[in-house]
Amino acid sequence: MMTAAALPSDKKCVASGQPATAVLQVKGLKAYYRTRHFGVEREVRAVDGVTFEVRSNEIYGLAGESSSGKSTLIKAIAAAMRPPLEIVGGTVAFAFVPGGKDLHQATSAEVAAIRWRKLSYIMQGSMSVLNPVRRVRRSFEDFAAPHLGGTGASFEARVREHFALVRLDPNVLDAYPHELSGGMRQRVTIALATICRPDFVIADEPTTALDVVVQKDVLGMIRNIQREMGSSLLLVTHDLGVHAYVTDRLAIMYAGRLVEEARTPQVFASPQHPYTRHLIASLPRIGDAAPRAGLAGAPPNLASPPSGCRFHPRCPLAGDRCRRETPSMTVFAPDHRVACFAVSGGTA
Amino acid sequence: MMAPLLGLSHVSKIFGATGPLGRRRVPAVSDVSFALQAEAPEIFTIVGQSGSGKTTLARMILGMEAPSEGSIRLAGNDIGHARGARARRLFMATVQPIFQNPFEAFNPLRQLDYYLFLTARRFGQARDQRQAQTSADVALRQVGLSLPEVAGRYPHELSGGQLQRAAIARALLAKPKLIVADEPVSMVDASLRMSIVNLFKTLRDELGISLIYITHDLATAYYISDRILIMHEGVVVESGDARTVLADPQHPYSRQLKDAVLVPDFAGTSVVHDTMEMSGTQRPL
Repeated sequence: MMTAAALPSDKKCVASGQPATAVLQVKGLKAYYRTRHFGVEREVRAVDGVTFEVRSNEIYGLAGESSSGKSTLIKAIAAAMRPPLEIVGGTVAFAFVPGGKDLHQATSAEVAAIRWRKLSYIMQGSMSVLNPVRRVRRSFEDFAAPHLGGTGASFEARVREHFALVRLDPNVLDAYPHELSGGMRQRVTIALATICRPDFVIADEPTTALDVVVQKDVLGMIRNIQREMGSSLLLVTHDLGVHAYVTDRLAIMYAGRLVEEARTPQVFASPQHPYTRHLIASLPRIGDAAPRAGLAGAPPNLASPPSGCRFHPRCPLAGDRCRRETPSMTVFAPDHRVACFAVSGGTA
Repeated sequence: MMAPLLGLSHVSKIFGATGPLGRRRVPAVSDVSFALQAEAPEIFTIVGQSGSGKTTLARMILGMEAPSEGSIRLAGNDIGHARGARARRLFMATVQPIFQNPFEAFNPLRQLDYYLFLTARRFGQARDQRQAQTSADVALRQVGLSLPEVAGRYPHELSGGQLQRAAIARALLAKPKLIVADEPVSMVDASLRMSIVNLFKTLRDELGISLIYITHDLATAYYISDRILIMHEGVVVESGDARTVLADPQHPYSRQLKDAVLVPDFAGTSVVHDTMEMSGTQRPL
């Protein structure tokens, strides 16, 4: 049984605002898709000047709708890029990369030493992570044995110890992936991603493919493991309910840029950016049937984004300045940054 | 007394799976009955997690699957008897589907207006291309688009929200009495979702269309439904007025479903984040 009492309470030091060290620092990151076909150049600015940091022992949430650049941002952070995606500017620095090097400048041997041991991933489709024709135990051997070392009995003991930690039945090791339910498979994937006790875990829509009833349990498991390991977790999903349930801080992304970042309760209690405000206000809640408005227009095409603030064509507060200039993320309150002229004091 | 618009009586669907040890019977839907009245258009919601039989039920209502037992009647006529092209066409002019993923509902290699004109001519009243264009434009305007915005464009050129609206417009062209929408907003972005959900209300109130809304999302179900049916493993566990049922669910499964809703509520809280520690709903793994 997972209980609150079993949790170490060291997250309190983060919540109480004591300075926590940054595990990941992203500064002015720009990642574009650049294609050149038959002499026609095309540039999709999927991530365009994103700056944030993820501190030790916290769950940092990143929310945004499809084509807002969330997935591109993850690829850029994890240095898992393939052409036509290129880093055009900015830096991605992990505290655990030797010499404070940018991950993109690290040699492939250095990156290989970090992957899975220091930096690991929880992906959406657990079926595509686990090998369908091999027992779960084999997947653990394939993934983790090269990183953990040890063979046979000692490795098995290590896996069982980890299963006990994440409260998974060790009999699952003998099952084939198709014999497990979706929720159980995702739990196995989480166990697989955390067995090396990584410093940083990237979770990309970890519960989107799961049923509502199972979703809450799996999220609880992610939170418990993170608290027990004390590592940092970057959780990316479009579902604000998930963010409300597990994340400590939350950033909202729109059309390739961050528009707001604050402690999660703060985002829900007093959103400042017009886009965030709309998102929060339009969430349907059981017990409240008051009419909720949709937002006019559609997210922009990032191959030809609007000038100035990318939200201005849909923004109720947009003024002339928003069409000309790009607002930068400005500190609105402690631990609360907003990129909007109407909020940061200036006239819109 | 007029026959109801749609009447299901004791509908069951059993799938047979043949294995090495003989046939195995998989009941997908067991003994479901309900009726939608023609004179009172409503949004009727079917809620359940995957495997609850809600999509099988929708497929049976759309005539894509025949019930193993029981009958489904549309305005008094058993839909199983709608055989032959003519009867089928008449049926499809009354009942129209909207699917979960609009990108899968349209052929990516065809321009969108092709589907609109095809539906207008086959199921609508349009007799030639000019009339088809006019009625397509009317239908698109009902969903907040217009023909010039859509004409000549391919599905990938539109956003998910726009494309789902186009799918709804296509369904409207047939002037249906009933729309069956299977998870219509779960693929649509958050900022566009509510406008589609609101559109369903408009269809009910202004065009008098009844809607069967199939979803796993209790929050939008509460927001738009008149009546609700909660399914679990093919069986209806609870049904009734949506607000009443969702405010105070009686069946243990309905309660479990309601407890699983992640409520984004921090009203009043400022920084303290310890509401996070409520792991009371965790089950032993």
